[in-house]
Amino acid sequence: MDLGLWIEWIVKAIILIVVLLIGFMYLTYMERKFLARFQNRYGPNRAGPVGLLQPMADGIKLIFKEEVIPKQADKLIFILAPVITVIPAWVILAVIPLGSIQLFGRTIDFSLAGDLNVGILYIMAVTSISVYGIVLAGWSSNNKYALLGGIRSSAQMISYELALGLAFVGPAMMASSLSLARIVEAQSKTVWFAVLQPIGFVVFLVAALAEINRSPFDMPEAEQELTAGYHVEYSGMKFAMFMLTEYTKMIVVSVIAATLFLGGYHFPFLTDRWPWLGPLVLFAKVIILLFGIIWVRATLPRVRYDQLMALGWKVMLPAALLNVFITAGVMYVLGMIA
Amino acid sequence: MDEQTAVPFIDVTREVDLAARFPEAVIVDVRKEYEGYIVNRDRLIEVATAIRDELGYDYLSSVTGVDYLPDGVMEVVYHVYKMTGGPGLVFKTQTPRDEAVVPSLVPVYPGADLQEREAWDLLGIRFEGHPDLRRILMWEGFAGYPLRKDWQEAYFEEEGKPFKNRWPDGQVYRIEDKNPYENNVQYPADFIPEEYEPENDALLYDSLKRSIRGRDPELETDVVMVNMGPQHPSTHGVFRIAVALEGEKIVALKPVMGYLHRNHEKIGERNTFLQNMPYTDRLDYLSSLSNNFGYALAVEKLMNVRPPERAEYLRVIMAELTRISNHIFAIGTFLNDLGAYFTPALYAIKERELILDIFEATTGSRMMCNYFRFGGVTRDLPEGIAEKIHRLVYDRLPQKVDELDLYLTNNEIVRSRTEGVGVLTAEQAIAYSAAGPVLRASGVPYDIRRADPYSIYDRFEFDVAVRYHGDTYDRYLIRIDEMRQSLRILQQAIKDLPEGSIQEGKPQYQVRVPAGEAYGRVEGPKGELGYYVISNGKPNPWRYHVRAPSFINLTGYETMCVGNKVADVVAILGSIDIVLGETDR
Amino acid sequence: MLQDYLPIVILVLIATGMAGLVVLLGHLFGPRRPSARKAQPYESGMRPIGPGTRRMPIRFYLIAVLFILFDIEIVFLLPWAVVFKKLGLFGVAEMLVFILILLVGYVYAWKKGALEWE
Repeated sequence: MDLGLWIEWIVKAIILIVVLLIGFMYLTYMERKFLARFQNRYGPNRAGPVGLLQPMADGIKLIFKEEVIPKQADKLIFILAPVITVIPAWVILAVIPLGSIQLFGRTIDFSLAGDLNVGILYIMAVTSISVYGIVLAGWSSNNKYALLGGIRSSAQMISYELALGLAFVGPAMMASSLSLARIVEAQSKTVWFAVLQPIGFVVFLVAALAEINRSPFDMPEAEQELTAGYHVEYSGMKFAMFMLTEYTKMIVVSVIAATLFLGGYHFPFLTDRWPWLGPLVLFAKVIILLFGIIWVRATLPRVRYDQLMALGWKVMLPAALLNVFITAGVMYVLGMIA
Repeated sequence: MDEQTAVPFIDVTREVDLAARFPEAVIVDVRKEYEGYIVNRDRLIEVATAIRDELGYDYLSSVTGVDYLPDGVMEVVYHVYKMTGGPGLVFKTQTPRDEAVVPSLVPVYPGADLQEREAWDLLGIRFEGHPDLRRILMWEGFAGYPLRKDWQEAYFEEEGKPFKNRWPDGQVYRIEDKNPYENNVQYPADFIPEEYEPENDALLYDSLKRSIRGRDPELETDVVMVNMGPQHPSTHGVFRIAVALEGEKIVALKPVMGYLHRNHEKIGERNTFLQNMPYTDRLDYLSSLSNNFGYALAVEKLMNVRPPERAEYLRVIMAELTRISNHIFAIGTFLNDLGAYFTPALYAIKERELILDIFEATTGSRMMCNYFRFGGVTRDLPEGIAEKIHRLVYDRLPQKVDELDLYLTNNEIVRSRTEGVGVLTAEQAIAYSAAGPVLRASGVPYDIRRADPYSIYDRFEFDVAVRYHGDTYDRYLIRIDEMRQSLRILQQAIKDLPEGSIQEGKPQYQVRVPAGEAYGRVEGPKGELGYYVISNGKPNPWRYHVRAPSFINLTGYETMCVGNKVADVVAILGSIDIVLGETDR
Repeated sequence: MLQDYLPIVILVLIATGMAGLVVLLGHLFGPRRPSARKAQPYESGMRPIGPGTRRMPIRFYLIAVLFILFDIEIVFLLPWAVVFKKLGLFGVAEMLVFILILLVGYVYAWKKGALEWE
């Protein structure tokens, strides 16, 4: 096998993780800054110019914090849980297509495996894994809040995974492929699927908020009831890893939403002319979506757990199914089916 | 009202003659400047039932234990009122000091629950038949009853202030040097502080287990007992709630308080009358001016003075501004309890700051205002402040209240989280002695400013806000309503503010308070705030009791919560709006 | 074909390494001053009552079972979505029948109250 290919993969993998890490750091900064502006405050403005070094300061602080492990906790699982939670968040984005350019006489694809023909299945599979980390963290802490919080969050995540999964079906039908690269291509030929799949898009956004435990579905963060839920016993870097996962997932779902429904790296005329703009176009779309997520957090109170589950099972799931039906029906009527 | 100078001090008992109704059980209290009746404790329940059912005094406002050490008698004082308004009725019962036992009035007035526990805890009066007589403010296992007159605190110095010169030799000394901590601390028998397990709450958990209600008979789900608090992010301070959960559902709940207890009343009895004024600020530290108001009324009743006209207006203005600042803050934090991430709270705090600016300019302090004096207030409005208040109550605040209303009231999530949650019916609210917004949200239009007017509230035009569902949503809405009504009062008061003096007589540093008893109550932002003060003619009050709405409103907390979800515990608590400084005293 | 997954395997390995490194960082630099009180589970500052791990409400199991049911449905839907243009009307009808059967179960669960959170 080509050694150059190996090096390319390794370099891309490292770049991906590093980008996500930096993205996480500056997403916390962005969230704090925006939340502050929403609330008549300044937000972090001491560490570095306009507080730009704040994420570093936080990280360094957390590294030097004591990590307490409760006495009756299951030590191995307690330490493994944050690791298990964080890995899926890092590896999901491997299948996101970022466009490609011609350089040195060969085609360089920006993405790691954007062409993977089962991209959507891959995303679903990896998201499911991240539930384990949360359940295990809640269970191994030997703490009532943590256990209840862990079980709650996992039930919430699997419930919304259904709606999320069904929302994937629409784009897959339109593009006749599970490959995200094909889906983006299909959108570049027609219009963004957000236009063609409005129900699917809305279902996806809501379900994604629940899936990543963000406001107004931030049950694990429900400090008002369970102090902090599954990660209540975690401190120091292990706690930071749960935060890292949460924020990385914010980025991840924004990327997925942008790819499936907002044309991904493609922007009409712009990326056709300058293909190297692909990653930047995606970045811009992601920032807009992230801003939306933060805006929601600044605005809405939290729904109650039973209401959340009812919404997931009684509204989102039927709506997503309906979307599949409608898509199939409309495509049939329009004669798009053989 | 026939004349403008209606006396706010109501002749409390002349309406009914209880002594004639129960000739062998009830006698009129004939002590000088005392009022009401003394009921034979063996027939207390019978008489209380008659008072409630036949005379219509359906609302138990306050239960106070008093230790008459020289007479060797303990007295329990009950203040009851009619929910239809009007003056109240005082009845008392006495018990020998060494074996203080009184029948519990919980079967007649469930609102006596926490208050009797408090009297048991602090005075050692045992209430026979009380369903759950545990200590409430002190910890289980505490030796002694701190409000008894012969109990001395760890750094006891003298019975009452002002203490003798602290600089006897031209040099300051501290009582801690003369009286080391160990010398004056009592421990229960065979108590070793080092080995004490402070979390030994067997009694609490037993009580919690006993009161479990509404379990699913089919599913044998584990009932999980969880502590929320004292170190919990959303209990509004060091407040603790022991909850029994079946899944997400609450099957039993006990509030546990006292973590901020400082024996306010004992300190109040050591202080001189005037020294207590700044001390009342610390009760409900979000509405210090209302606290001042109630205490000033009680002592003025004893002294029989009335503040001049301008002072009355200033008092009303300050009290109503306090109400707005309290309610706007309460709504902000309530939304926080619903999980809104601080945005409403910070917008609310912004408006509150403007009100605090006025307090600071007028009283010298933003929160601990210490503004009222017996027969007046300390300072007049500084230059420009009247105009500032004018602008605030005519322009800015009405608009901001509308804004709050616009953005929050019809929010889908707010409604689904609060409607039908934590219901307290009108009957329950009265029975549990709920007060203020909690009572009025349950459909009882009872506002002391109207029902039993004090100060000059009878001159203003305003409506008593009332809502009818008794759920968390109504308890939120009623605060918006009340802010609007307060603004109406303020608009009238600031327009009519007369010129004149602000203090009856000369400002005094030491007041003479004639012997007697008095109960002064005001409609504080959180509910009926009452002060029961007994003077024996000495510089210090013999008894100083606070009827704290934050405390008594918690009596119905369990009823509101049981059957709801665990997330509602905090939402309901937020809708009651407690301040721990007042709950724990 | 399987070669497509190689970059993902590499990514997973590197991610695992990174995660391990992060845990190690905290382990290396964090102070360690254990005490009996600190090692207790947190319950708002009180000594916990009863064990921390215990039986959970049955609702969660119901949710888990329902999830498996519908997740499999989705897994079937996805390949169908890819090829349904070629399958034509038959494919649409076929999937409709499949979903309807599941919907019966869904309606049953709803009516039975499995979706209620009481």
